[in-house]
Amino acid sequence: MKGLIRNNFYAMEGNMGISFIVAAFLAIMPVFLKNSSFIPIILAIQIFIFVVNTGTSLHADTTAKWNKYERILPVKSSEPILAKYISFVILILLGVAMSLLTLFCAAAAGIILNLADLAAGYGYGLTLSGISIGIMYPVMLKTGTDKNELILIFSAFGSVGIRLGTAFVLSPWTEGMNLQHPLVNILSALAALVIFAGSYFASLGIYRHKEFY
Amino acid sequence: MTAALKIQGLTKKFEGFALDKVSFRVPSGSIVGLIGENGAGKTTTINAALGLIKKDSGEIEILGENVEHLTPSIKEEIGAVFDASNFSEELTPEKLDKVLKDIYTSWDQDLFRQLLDRLEIPFSRKIKTFSKGMKMKLSLAAALSHHPKLLILDEATSGLDPVMRDDILDMFLDFVQEEDHAILVSSHITSDLEKVADYIVFIHKGKIIFSKPKDELLEDYGIIKCGDEQFKALDREDWIACRRQDYEWQVLTSDRKKAEKKYPKALVMPATIDEIMLLYVKGEQE
Repeated sequence: MKGLIRNNFYAMEGNMGISFIVAAFLAIMPVFLKNSSFIPIILAIQIFIFVVNTGTSLHADTTAKWNKYERILPVKSSEPILAKYISFVILILLGVAMSLLTLFCAAAAGIILNLADLAAGYGYGLTLSGISIGIMYPVMLKTGTDKNELILIFSAFGSVGIRLGTAFVLSPWTEGMNLQHPLVNILSALAALVIFAGSYFASLGIYRHKEFY
Repeated sequence: MTAALKIQGLTKKFEGFALDKVSFRVPSGSIVGLIGENGAGKTTTINAALGLIKKDSGEIEILGENVEHLTPSIKEEIGAVFDASNFSEELTPEKLDKVLKDIYTSWDQDLFRQLLDRLEIPFSRKIKTFSKGMKMKLSLAAALSHHPKLLILDEATSGLDPVMRDDILDMFLDFVQEEDHAILVSSHITSDLEKVADYIVFIHKGKIIFSKPKDELLEDYGIIKCGDEQFKALDREDWIACRRQDYEWQVLTSDRKKAEKKYPKALVMPATIDEIMLLYVKGEQE
């Protein structure tokens, strides 16, 4: 398992470097903007930015036929998929870690943040990342990675749609359709968690039946 | 003699192509060469043998285990090289070493480094900068570095220069010195297999044409070279395939000595594996 996760990160190393640079650039933005309203957007992007590159990395793995080779390694058939999902979680956590730098910079710039803004930023970032990966990975596993950018865009749209749908369903209790409401945040994050977990089992099923030529 | 790999009645249908009841064995202590033209079914057979594609019917046993239920401990004893690099291009051999050390319990870092030195593979350059031959050599080093008992190699010598191919063939011969080791190697460079293989399995259009000891093949098979009239005088039962080449007929026979005696006026030559394959594929059989 450790070797598979290690391989995932080695394969993403180049793209992760770019993600770190973008996330670090975003982290220092509060110093210049001096405005708390941008913070939730920055937090959400920082969490999502590491996940964005997985499509390219998965495509590179497929091109190199690592997926085929992985199948003959002395590991249980579930381990390559589990290693991928653990890697996705680590990527999201890296995004969360970079977002803490944003909070530090905001505090240093004297910006006062309220809890609702933080919840909105983290809620949206985690929802976007969890649902995007949850949709993207099994789809790529099933259909191939040639259209990885397109699949990622549709997955991201899917996550926005789920958040909007949640806000719509909850509108009687959230004073109309209110995307910033804590209840919408919590339920969207829960939906992301369920989709991410369900995605693991779907990917496992696809992987076990997949043929490698 | 025990078989490291046993394939019995393997059938797999695709649109426009099918593996049709493929059967052969890879005995322990031997090198089996799988030959056939492009698209004959070599890679499909290897993919099925490794459980990478689902078979429609038939039985495949690797190191005594059904391929559908291979445990990690059996997989530990199988080394494979596919017809391309198998590793993420962003890795270096150094990083690959760390990855595979965490996966194979029997990974031998010293052996891996020795093999990289011997095969002249740089340790800290990214794989994406390697030539096809270098990638192939790296795959081979990785396949050998966890002390497998069975090596399955798909076109492992393609893309390598003759000197390096010779070196790698020597490595194959060293590998099968252990009597519980075996190699299945597919190749269209039949001269390589003439040097090292103990058995030759010839696949054509998804069917096994023959599976024979190489020495028997080279000793028994022959090419009868003759003119039109001599060709017409040949008994049909004495030849397998024929083709017209400029002003002469080349006729493949599976009993060279008999042909020499029976047709003293014809020129009967020993056949190379290449010629046997060529006549089966391009020759007429009717």
